[in-house]
Amino acid sequence: MKKVFGLMIVIALLVGTLTACGSSGDQGEDGSSLGAVNVISREDGSGTRGAFVELLGIVDADENDAITAAAEITNSTSVMISTVAGNPNAIGYISLGSLSDDVKAVSIDGVAPTVEDINNGTYTIARPFNIVYPEGSLSDLAEDFKTFILSDEGQTIINDEGYIRIGEGESYTASGLSGTITLAGSTSVSPVMEVLADAYKEQNPAVTIEIQQTGSSAGITSASEGVCNFGMSSRELKDSEASQLTSVSIARDGIVVIVNHENEITNLTSEQVKNIYLGEITDWSELAE
Amino acid sequence: MNKQSYKEGIMRLIFLLCACMSLAAVILICLFMFASGLPAMAEIGPLNFLLGMEWKPSQGLFGILPMIVGSIYVTAGAILVGVPIGILSAVFLAHYCNKHLYKIIKPAIDLLAGIPSIVYGFFGLVVIVPLIQELTGTGGKGVLTASLLLGMMILPTIITTAEAAIKAVPDTYYEGSLALGATKERSIFRSVFPAAKSGLFAGVILGVGRAIGETMAVVMVAGNQSIMPESLTSGVRTLTANIVLEMGYAADLHREALIATAVVLFVFILIINLCFSLIKARAKI
Repeated sequence: MKKVFGLMIVIALLVGTLTACGSSGDQGEDGSSLGAVNVISREDGSGTRGAFVELLGIVDADENDAITAAAEITNSTSVMISTVAGNPNAIGYISLGSLSDDVKAVSIDGVAPTVEDINNGTYTIARPFNIVYPEGSLSDLAEDFKTFILSDEGQTIINDEGYIRIGEGESYTASGLSGTITLAGSTSVSPVMEVLADAYKEQNPAVTIEIQQTGSSAGITSASEGVCNFGMSSRELKDSEASQLTSVSIARDGIVVIVNHENEITNLTSEQVKNIYLGEITDWSELAE
Repeated sequence: MNKQSYKEGIMRLIFLLCACMSLAAVILICLFMFASGLPAMAEIGPLNFLLGMEWKPSQGLFGILPMIVGSIYVTAGAILVGVPIGILSAVFLAHYCNKHLYKIIKPAIDLLAGIPSIVYGFFGLVVIVPLIQELTGTGGKGVLTASLLLGMMILPTIITTAEAAIKAVPDTYYEGSLALGATKERSIFRSVFPAAKSGLFAGVILGVGRAIGETMAVVMVAGNQSIMPESLTSGVRTLTANIVLEMGYAADLHREALIATAVVLFVFILIINLCFSLIKARAKI
C-alpha cells in the first residue's frame, strides 16, 4: 500500500503530462486538416516588415499596418528561414540578399524575384537601403567612404551581393586618408556594408571601419547623437528623425515571399499575398487554381 | 601596528566599494526603467496599457494584457513540466542514486545549467518545434513548445535547490521513519518532504523566476503573436519576447512603451523575489 502511494504520484504526473499533449493533438487535427496557411511575419517596427506592408498595401482603411494578429512573429531572418524550411504550410518574406536554398522563392504576378527584374522594374517589391548622418557632420574620411559606396566600384559590389545598385557612379580613386569610420544600424544592411568596408580597406589600408548591428532605429539614434559616423537604415526616416538627419540611398533590396520546398505553389498574385497577410485567406486549398 | 590598521582601513573601504557596486547597479537600473517607463505608461494610460488587448505600435495601440497572460501561461506550463521531474530527480539523487551514477548525473545537470539560452532556443526550433508540428498538425510554435523547453531549462535550478533541501534534512528523520517500518518512498514523501518543504518551495520559486525572465529561447519557439492564447498550441508572446523583438527598430513612444513593459516584468520579478525571501525567512523560524 505504501509503495502504491509513491507509484500513484508518478503515474498521476505522467498521465497529466500525456493528456496535456494528447488534448492539444486533437485540437490541432480538427483545425488544420487541409493545410492551414502558417503566416510568418517580422516584428512591428522592422524595416523589412514596413516595406513589405507598404509595397503590397497590407493596410486597413486608415492606412495602418494590418498584418493579421494570427501571424507568427520573428525578429530574425535566420529564424524566418528555418521556420519556413521546417514547416510545409508556412509562408514568410525575407530580403533578396538573404535568400538561401533551404526555402523556395515564390514568383509574384508571374515575375520571379531576380536582380534583373527588380532593376528593370518588373518585380516591384523592393525597398531602399539608406545611410543617415547629421547634415554637415561628415569628416573628409567619412565623405570619402560615402563617395566610395556610391562609386562604380561600390555599386558593383552591391550588385554582386544580390542587392540592386541605384546608379552607375563614377570611378573611385583611393584617397590615402587614415582614421576610423563607425557605422551602426540595420541588420539587413550590415552584411553588404561589411563587404563594402573590406573593399574600401583594401584601397585605403590605413583606415579602420567598425560596423555595429543594432537595428535601424538604434542606428539612426546613434547617428543623431554623434556616436557613429553613419547610421544604416532599411527604412525611410520618421518625421521626428528627418529634422536632424540627412538620408542617402545606397542600394535597393528586393523582398522575396518564401514557402517550403514541399509546397507546390510557385506563383502568387500580389492580391493573394496581401489577402494571406490580411488573414482573409487561411487555407492553402483556397489558392489552388 | 599603526601602519597595519591603516592598511586594514583601506582594504575595508575597497570591500565596501565593491559591495556598493551591485547596490548602485540595482538603483541605476530601477531609476532608468521607472524614469523612462512610467511617463510612457501615463501617456498611454495605465489601464489601457495593462489591460489593453491590442498591441499595434504603428497605430498607437499599446495593450500588453496578452503578453502578461502569455508570460503567466508559459511559466505555469514550465512549472508543470519542470517541477515534478526536478523534484523527483532530486529525490533520486539524494536517496536512491549510487555513487558511480551520481558522478555522471550531477555533472550532466550542472552542464544543463551552463548551456546558453540561445542554444536551447535553437534546439527547440529544430527539434521540439517539428515534433509538435508532427503531433498536432499546427505550426508547432506556441504555449506547449515554450513550456516544454522552459521546463527543461529550469530543471537544473530546481534539482540543485531541491537536492540541497532534501540533504539538509537530518538523517534521523529518514532513518527514524524507516525504523518505524515505513518504506523508503513513504519515509521520503511523508517525513523528509514536510521537513524540506520551504527549501523545495524556494527551488520552485527560483525556477519561476528563471522561466519568466527567459528571453532568447522563448522568442524562437513561442510564435510571438501578440494575441490572447486560446489553446495549448496557439502562439504566445511573453513580456520578455515583446521587448527583445521590437527594441531594435522602435522609436519614440514605442520605445518607451517597451521600457514600460520591462517595468511590468520587473514588478513581477520583484514579487517573485519577495516570495522567495518570505519563504526563506519562515524556514529559519
